[in-house]
Amino acid sequence: MIEYIQSGRVKIDKTKHPQLTTAHDPCNYTRKSQMAMGKSYHEEIRWITKQCVDNFVDMYPSGMNNYCCGAGGGAWAMPYAQERIFYGRVKAKQIQETGAELVIAPCHNCRDQIMKSLTKEYQLGIETMYLWELLAESLIIEPWSEEEIEAARAARDAQFERDGIVLEDMEDMEEEE
Amino acid sequence: MPEPLKINKKERKLAIDPKMADVCFTCGTCAGGCPVTGVDGLDPRKAIRMAALGLDDELIESRWPWICTLCGRCENQCPMGVSLMKTFRRARTLRDRDKVPGPIHKGTMMNLERGNNLGIPKEDFLMLLAEVGEELAQEECPGFYVPVDKKGANVITTINSKEPFGEPDDMKFWWKIFYAAKEDWTVSSVNWEGVNWGLFSGDDEAWKTQVGRVLENARRLECKTLLLPE
Repeated sequence: MIEYIQSGRVKIDKTKHPQLTTAHDPCNYTRKSQMAMGKSYHEEIRWITKQCVDNFVDMYPSGMNNYCCGAGGGAWAMPYAQERIFYGRVKAKQIQETGAELVIAPCHNCRDQIMKSLTKEYQLGIETMYLWELLAESLIIEPWSEEEIEAARAARDAQFERDGIVLEDMEDMEEEE
Repeated sequence: MPEPLKINKKERKLAIDPKMADVCFTCGTCAGGCPVTGVDGLDPRKAIRMAALGLDDELIESRWPWICTLCGRCENQCPMGVSLMKTFRRARTLRDRDKVPGPIHKGTMMNLERGNNLGIPKEDFLMLLAEVGEELAQEECPGFYVPVDKKGANVITTINSKEPFGEPDDMKFWWKIFYAAKEDWTVSSVNWEGVNWGLFSGDDEAWKTQVGRVLENARRLECKTLLLPE
């Protein structure tokens, strides 16, 4: 994503997300990356987020010392929901204290915990987005040229034929023709 | 009077670091910084003392290693460098497989057998990619489709099985980015699962097998970049 933004391959409209925004640091992107690969990626999370929003606030503490959302390590799927929600009270308080309306979660587990559980349990009244969702929803999408579309459709048709895929509405379209 | 504990070094299962009992100063930094300190009367310090004192079985049978999310905050701050997180994950590894809580062991077995945690069949997966791809093409990305098994693509991406299973529209986020960037990308038709539950269930062999499959896909399709959008 950083490469796409820096090289100008994708264009962003910052006005799409004017609300105060904070970002959650997943354990896997910070401490565990640091332990396994010698690098924490919390700066990258902020950089990408700030390319998409002007109004950013950090949680405290964050980065290497950030609190887990409470659903990591498979806990989202574990049968210990009460403990998972109790765990998440710290994250919920951190989010509340920022006053943010939008929380960016760069991890599937964290996003589910914050969006589907903590928001309701602790009445956070916030919106939660994946980091890549924020970028996708901030894009100024320019349609491809006619030639590019033609080439892609030819490649698609060849692939569908190889895989035996027949889409219903495409069939309808062909019948109409 | 309870029997005094006898520590038999040869029978130790959890002591990754034999000096752990002496190294830990019992300062409580780990416990102070852990959001689930007190649950079931345990905390990271107590749990690590259990391991140090040879109460391996008690710790392995307790809920602690599973209530803990292996977030690594304790290990990161420990002034003595005790391997807390790794010890707790090891306790997960030592749990009988049929006593692993929740679906993560079953999902791991399903993944080994069928290539994804939820057992989604290949035909259904390919059909869904085609349908959701066509939807996106009609909505806002004319010409879009999901390239499957495209040899020599620049980027190969894994997919979290919860998305094709229950939240298919969420796959469009990355797809829009690829479209806007005109990326040359692909998805494998087999073993495309991006979630590795072997990591969480403590199953090192399954963990390794799944990582191997993801790499094998990238090699087979000669892709330069591997994207794990987790």
